Amino acid sequence: MTQVLATTVVVASLYALLAAGYVLVYRATRVLNLAQGDMMTLGGYFLFLLTTAAPGSPALSITTAAALAAAAGFFIYHLLMRPMAGHPIFAAVLVTVTLGILLRAAIVLVYTDRIRHPLPLLGLANPPRRLPGGAVVSTFDLLTVGVAAALFLALFAFLRLSPLGIQMRAAGEKALLAAQRGINFQLLFALSWALAGFAGALAGILYANNVRLDPSLGVLGLKAFAVALVGGLDSLGGVIPGALIVAAIEVLSVRYGDPLLADVSPFLCLLAMLLVRPWGLFGTKEELERV
Amino acid sequence: MTSVLELENLEVVYHHVATAIQGVSLRVPPRSIVALLGTNGAGKTTTLRAISGFLGADDAQIVGGRVVFLDEAVTGRPPHTLARRGLVLVPERDKVFETLTVRENLRAIVPGRRADRGAARPPVTLDQVFHYFPVLAERRRQLAGYLSGGERQMLALATALLCRPRVLLVDELSLGLAPLVVESLMTMVARLRDDLGLAVLLVEQNAGAALAIANYGYVLEHGRIVYDGSADRLLAHEDVREFYLGVGRSTGRKRYTDVKQYRRRRRWF
Amino acid sequence: MAHGGGYFKTTYASDLALVDTRLRRTALAALIVALLVLPRLTSPFVLDLVAQTALAAVGALALNLLTGLAGQISLGHAGFIAAGAFTTAVLVEHRLPSPLLALPAAALVGAVLGVVVGIPALRLKGLYLALGTLALHHVVLYACGEFQNHWGANTGVSIPPPRLGGWVLKGTTAWYYTLIAVAALVVALSVNLQRSRAGRAWMAIRDREIAAESVGIDVARYKVLAFVWSSALTAVAGALFAYQRAFVSVEAFGFFLAIEYIAMITIGGLGSALGAVLGAAFVTLLPYGIDAVVAGLRVPGGAEYYLFPLKFGAFGLLMAAFLIFEPQGLVGIWRRARNWLSLWPLRYRPLRPAS
Repeated sequence: MTQVLATTVVVASLYALLAAGYVLVYRATRVLNLAQGDMMTLGGYFLFLLTTAAPGSPALSITTAAALAAAAGFFIYHLLMRPMAGHPIFAAVLVTVTLGILLRAAIVLVYTDRIRHPLPLLGLANPPRRLPGGAVVSTFDLLTVGVAAALFLALFAFLRLSPLGIQMRAAGEKALLAAQRGINFQLLFALSWALAGFAGALAGILYANNVRLDPSLGVLGLKAFAVALVGGLDSLGGVIPGALIVAAIEVLSVRYGDPLLADVSPFLCLLAMLLVRPWGLFGTKEELERV
Repeated sequence: MTSVLELENLEVVYHHVATAIQGVSLRVPPRSIVALLGTNGAGKTTTLRAISGFLGADDAQIVGGRVVFLDEAVTGRPPHTLARRGLVLVPERDKVFETLTVRENLRAIVPGRRADRGAARPPVTLDQVFHYFPVLAERRRQLAGYLSGGERQMLALATALLCRPRVLLVDELSLGLAPLVVESLMTMVARLRDDLGLAVLLVEQNAGAALAIANYGYVLEHGRIVYDGSADRLLAHEDVREFYLGVGRSTGRKRYTDVKQYRRRRRWF
Repeated sequence: MAHGGGYFKTTYASDLALVDTRLRRTALAALIVALLVLPRLTSPFVLDLVAQTALAAVGALALNLLTGLAGQISLGHAGFIAAGAFTTAVLVEHRLPSPLLALPAAALVGAVLGVVVGIPALRLKGLYLALGTLALHHVVLYACGEFQNHWGANTGVSIPPPRLGGWVLKGTTAWYYTLIAVAALVVALSVNLQRSRAGRAWMAIRDREIAAESVGIDVARYKVLAFVWSSALTAVAGALFAYQRAFVSVEAFGFFLAIEYIAMITIGGLGSALGAVLGAAFVTLLPYGIDAVVAGLRVPGGAEYYLFPLKFGAFGLLMAAFLIFEPQGLVGIWRRARNWLSLWPLRYRPLRPAS
């Protein structure tokens, strides 16, 4: 029982990291970044790149990889998403799909689709740990939970308390009014993409060390957007309950049901939510009419 | 300088075919309130949008004339550049951030630089804002979306003030508000002119309220300025009284076809 | 048919005609002749390409009906194709491999699935609808995967060549003619649907749903109808896929297939039957085009490995380029070219903005 609980929290943390990326970009630009999963993969491969370039210094490699992914997010906004400014939102979402394709193609081109394991190259280990209550998790499982918690705390503080965060929320609500009040919303939109890249990279780095690294990790991104939708696409707070619910259902269906069903269960949650309460647990209802 | 903001023969066309405003020229001197009057569809909002760099969304283009702000041509510059230099618009709709609290609305504003090109800009702090609009201090923690119409307008003015404006463009301040509220808001705007030396271009359908505080006024009809003069002259003018102030003529009702035309002012360049 | 100088129609018959001007009739006749004679002029490889394009066009036209015409964004297209293909597989496993049964059955399954998707879809719009259809795609694939595992064929189900009475549909040329004929039928169907009452209702719903409802269009009925038509046609295309490839496996129907079809209608031009066909041709022929370019450049051996991500990446790049620079797609380019040609040497000058 405690094992189920522990696994749920771990899985939920990973999903939460990815879903945070979806929500940040959606709140700011009203675009669903369907390439979030591939940005996670990109982060993992940045780490791999750095393990070969700067072997044996994990702290440097990890921070640089995350920083590179943030920068990538920033430039992706300016190159791909900013030109889509006047176009219908669905077209912009399709552009994110092409972004995912491009990222995957680039990764396979450079690194092939061999499975990689950066963990030993970093000089780190991932021993299992026993929790009170008898559950067993790996070290990186615990790190995932910790990192997710820290990121969410930081994001809440940023968006609620700092002027820049408030401006980002303002620009996400009414970009024109923001411009009329001197706010450079294009920069803030790019920043939201950078944060999404950063969060995705954290997820990718943790997963790559914990499990493995290969170009098809992006599918986790698709599951994570079910989390974002269940919680409410424009609610960062909703990600946490959403992640826990979806993770719980997935873990339970692996344990007591069919493993194939586990892959589909996030989408079943998504469908159920869309039928019952399309704006999610904590999203704003008006969002539905906007699109 | 003679005027903070000046429009020279501005012409705006929608969808390449429909002229919205034509030959519009006006001047806003420092430390004054200039009223721009007109009915629905006269072109007032288009004029404001043309000034504040916000036409593109509606497939509209400035095809003639120019906008001069602080002796510099700024025609077609984007909104956030103009806002930072002190040309601030209080829009008719979408004037506050509804999902943010009052306090967050105020904190989100980027204050302009203290002095720009030699001339000092009115210094405005958060305390001053709360001094002018005490009700905002009371409702600090409330979501802006839940404010009443008058409070919303006050928040909109407050956020505009925090940008340290040199000229304030106000679009339909009185829209949808009760007469008492309108009066208090207008008095507030007049106070801001006197205390902070602001220049204000007040676009209004409610001519009476606007002319009560304005120094000078222009009348816009079908996209053209048909009359202008000091506020007193406008208040005394027969046709302005009849059509914009609702004050009837003493000689009984007139038919629309019997209306005297305004003396058209032509600008020669 | 009476003329009116080509610009004015003087009889009802000429107004309703699909092909109205003499130039268009000649062009159509030439196209038909070319298609009929093609097998004598080219290799089986080219014939196969054209056949693939025709089949892709059927799917693209069906998606265009739903997304381009009725404005209902669907990311679940691959699910409908899979449904049609797996209907065929189910029938084959039950020893009923005849296409006379499989094609209508696929259409029926598609239609039912269209109702199943369409009714809940009434509550959703835009992005949420797209996500819902994507989720549904995964559910359909899961069901197909379960079927595939259940019948013990872990890699897939093989489909024997379709048999009509004594005649067996086999060989590139036979498939070519069949698929061209099917595609032509679907093009005619598509164009006629566009001009029908349903088509006008769909376009009204796409452009402004509230206004459509207020002029008396039964929005719910027409939205479900769009899903039903689209998914029935798509399922039929899926059944044809199954027969042509002679093999059905759930891996062939991933999300990327849905993206390919979306690319076809966006690159081709949303809302236009011609666009769907052009887009289908573009997306189908692109990988072969890249092959040809790479072969022509005489890249050193071992580089074949890079072809897959290269094709994948080129597809993504081109799709992004069309979305950003040419939102009206190939049809938009064609229309601009046609207008330029017909107006030349005159040119319409738009109003110039003040500098």
